[in-house]
Amino acid sequence: MIGIDGHVHPEVETVNPYRPHRARITSIVDLTDNEKLFELRLIDEESRAEFSHSAGQFVEVSIFGVGEAPISISSAPSKQGFIELCVRRAGDVTGALHDMRCGDIIGIRGPFGRGFPFEQMKGSDVLLVAGGLGIAPLKSLINHIHDERHAFGNVTILYGSRTPSEILFRRQFEMWQHRDDFDMVLTVDQADETWTGEVGLVTKLFDRIDVDPSNTYGAICGPPVMYKYVIAEMRKKSIDADRIYVSFERRMKCGVGKCGHCGVGHQYACVDGPVFNYWEAMNLQEAI
Amino acid sequence: MADAPSVAIISLASDFGCQVQITNIDPGLLQVLGLIDLRYWQLTSSGHMPEEYDVAVIEGAVTTDEHIELLRRVRETASVVVAIGSCAVTGGIPALAGTIDADCRFAAVYGEDATVTPGLHSPVAISRYIDVDYIVPGCPIDTTEFLAVLGRALKGLSNGMPEQPLCASCKTHGNECFMRRGDLCLGIITRSGCDAKCTTLGRPCTGCRGLAPDANLEAARKVYAAFGHDFDEVVTALDLYNTDREVCR
Amino acid sequence: MFFRMIDKDRLPDLVRGLAAEFEVVGPVAKGDSFVYAELEGPGDLRLDFDSTLLPPKEWFMPPRERIMRFATADNEVVDCEVDAPPRVLFGVHPCDVNGLQLMDNVFLGDRPDPYYKARRENTLIVGVNCQPSDTCFCNAWGTDETHWGFDIFLSDLGPDYFVSVRSVKGAELIDRHVESREITHQDTRRFQEVTARFKASFPEPLDTSQLPLLLDAKFDSPVWDELGERCLSCGACSMVCPTCYCFDVKDVLDPDHAGGERVRVWDSCMFRDFAAVAHGANFRESRSSRVKYRYYHKQWGYLSKFERVLCVGCGRCTRACLAGINPPEVIAALQGAMSREEVAAE
Repeated sequence: MIGIDGHVHPEVETVNPYRPHRARITSIVDLTDNEKLFELRLIDEESRAEFSHSAGQFVEVSIFGVGEAPISISSAPSKQGFIELCVRRAGDVTGALHDMRCGDIIGIRGPFGRGFPFEQMKGSDVLLVAGGLGIAPLKSLINHIHDERHAFGNVTILYGSRTPSEILFRRQFEMWQHRDDFDMVLTVDQADETWTGEVGLVTKLFDRIDVDPSNTYGAICGPPVMYKYVIAEMRKKSIDADRIYVSFERRMKCGVGKCGHCGVGHQYACVDGPVFNYWEAMNLQEAI
Repeated sequence: MADAPSVAIISLASDFGCQVQITNIDPGLLQVLGLIDLRYWQLTSSGHMPEEYDVAVIEGAVTTDEHIELLRRVRETASVVVAIGSCAVTGGIPALAGTIDADCRFAAVYGEDATVTPGLHSPVAISRYIDVDYIVPGCPIDTTEFLAVLGRALKGLSNGMPEQPLCASCKTHGNECFMRRGDLCLGIITRSGCDAKCTTLGRPCTGCRGLAPDANLEAARKVYAAFGHDFDEVVTALDLYNTDREVCR
Repeated sequence: MFFRMIDKDRLPDLVRGLAAEFEVVGPVAKGDSFVYAELEGPGDLRLDFDSTLLPPKEWFMPPRERIMRFATADNEVVDCEVDAPPRVLFGVHPCDVNGLQLMDNVFLGDRPDPYYKARRENTLIVGVNCQPSDTCFCNAWGTDETHWGFDIFLSDLGPDYFVSVRSVKGAELIDRHVESREITHQDTRRFQEVTARFKASFPEPLDTSQLPLLLDAKFDSPVWDELGERCLSCGACSMVCPTCYCFDVKDVLDPDHAGGERVRVWDSCMFRDFAAVAHGANFRESRSSRVKYRYYHKQWGYLSKFERVLCVGCGRCTRACLAGINPPEVIAALQGAMSREEVAAE
């Protein structure tokens, strides 16, 4: 059963899930005062070629001497060779990342977790609802849908921010409001002089949208307090619980279901999620 | 070392033990000195405090008007203040003086006729007068932890202090529990992070790192009672380093 | 599996023989308790131990372990070596053998943990039978016996050991280092008698019926509030648990900050920051939610993945918890507990 095979354990060097791969920061865009968009390229060509993710998955950003933090991938899986991370300055790792410059090298582990069921969503309408930084993982899904737009029915994006200056990807999304192939609505809790759009919580926008309940998938990501209310609105539109997908933020430390920090109900967000459908999430204690 | 942050190590009322601990950083002391521009170190210098420095490392409790004035100046000058050792962090042993009447304390030591220097205060932690950015608790400080916190301060990271009591750390050393053996141990309410050195060496915890921010004091009170330690006994033990209960948390 | 009989006074031969090839770790006395430690000789070995302060997991995932060395300048891994000397864990009770199997599910299953795996593969397990102490409740989970997860298992029949040999390596070592003989029908009989006496010496097993369901149905029970008030949030229960596997990872810089090491340390879901995320949200801020999560995960979360409960009834947490929180009472309280609605209705 157990073999004593001497001191040699090559897998510690080779297939070690905790070992970060080096990645170069190839672009940094200031999105808001507190959020930046980082473009990263894995340095090792083989790792770069092997890397593929699905929308909703995350990576562990690793800065030696500081630590690691889970960050969802914002770029579409259809974009090969690089990934984009939308990062808020929130803790030690994200703070250190914000202080870095283009060309600097960080570590990446992943991608980890279960993303949105992209293939399954094809052929349907999609209603995406984001609050604040929750747009980060949804951005990957939005971009992926964009790249295969013909495969989907109506695509509606409702995105709420606290203030206009906190809207992520504001320029792009404001332009998208004029597109025919996406129904994009932005709203803010508090307007300022630059704002001519909607004011109020994202849930208010449900009054103005039509949903075909038999053929719509919902996707939600936002601050913890948001889920309950947005799900209720989707349920009012008669979208089935198992067609509503939510992405949860938890403390994913190891990313591989071992360290225990991201427990949500009886599951681990890092391997069983972070994307769950509402039917599953309903059965996760303290999830919503 | 043009870019190296300048550091001043300052002492208030203490026995200089924590500064001595810094000299005990072996073999890393010289390497640490390579990271910083050490402008002033009270233990090793008879010179004056410099006008400018980025990081102030302060040892000792506040006991005089002079200290208070010094602290205000330090806070205005330094962008980062690091409190090291129990005296600076919780008031430590000097703060015990506050548990008895000050006049009687001087009379007992210096005689009835002695004049007391004006401006003396009952000793307290420095956070009673200025904002402290980083703490390194303990009596004396642990050199590894000092290096870790100084490193975090230099990199602008969070303090990284554990909030939980000592027991878990003590357990990882395979120690028998002092409480189970009838001894009073303050580990159940004292901040972890010392690697349980005392309990591993065979002495119950005396609480030198201050109360753990997440300690459940109500529950602990009941546990102490259940193990036969009356409240006065616990209070006396706790007072050694933690007379100022609020600041200790 | 095959079987052998070894006379008790021959056992030191086996220990000495193993010591020539392996680091031999076994239960030794420490004060009034026992710990696993490297044996200096067969005389140190105390197979009459009741339990150990720390479970065997420390030999597979140490409380603090360097998982890699790094260089900060270019964020590079310098090395990921693991210290996994050939080792024998000599004298492991059935509960703890089960505990290791439960750890294996996590660390050797999907995306194996290479550090744990290296030590697990380099460690032989010699199990030994035991007598239940007043804190044992392994009979509730069936972890009072084990059928795999060891190389050799010694059952004390008085003058001799009934030896079950699971692995080829175990067989080889028995053959090489100790005089043994074939078992007879009589030996098997005696083994059965000892087993029967062992089983009979337990009190009534704990009522664990429908636990996962009850944990959900009574998720809002005031039982948890009361436990939260008592809990010291010290995490002692997690440290001494043979199946608590949660860990934290920290970077420790060298004094010159040019390099450092990434270390893994044992963690506990009893700690306040365990489920906190960077920008302030804490999914289990209250003590009661933390105590509840510990039980919820052990009796249901883990079970939902691996079809076993993440507890082996060893009683270590019962002995470690100064506040007197222990699984038999928590589970009994849960069986009898009322939900918040029921309490309100009274």
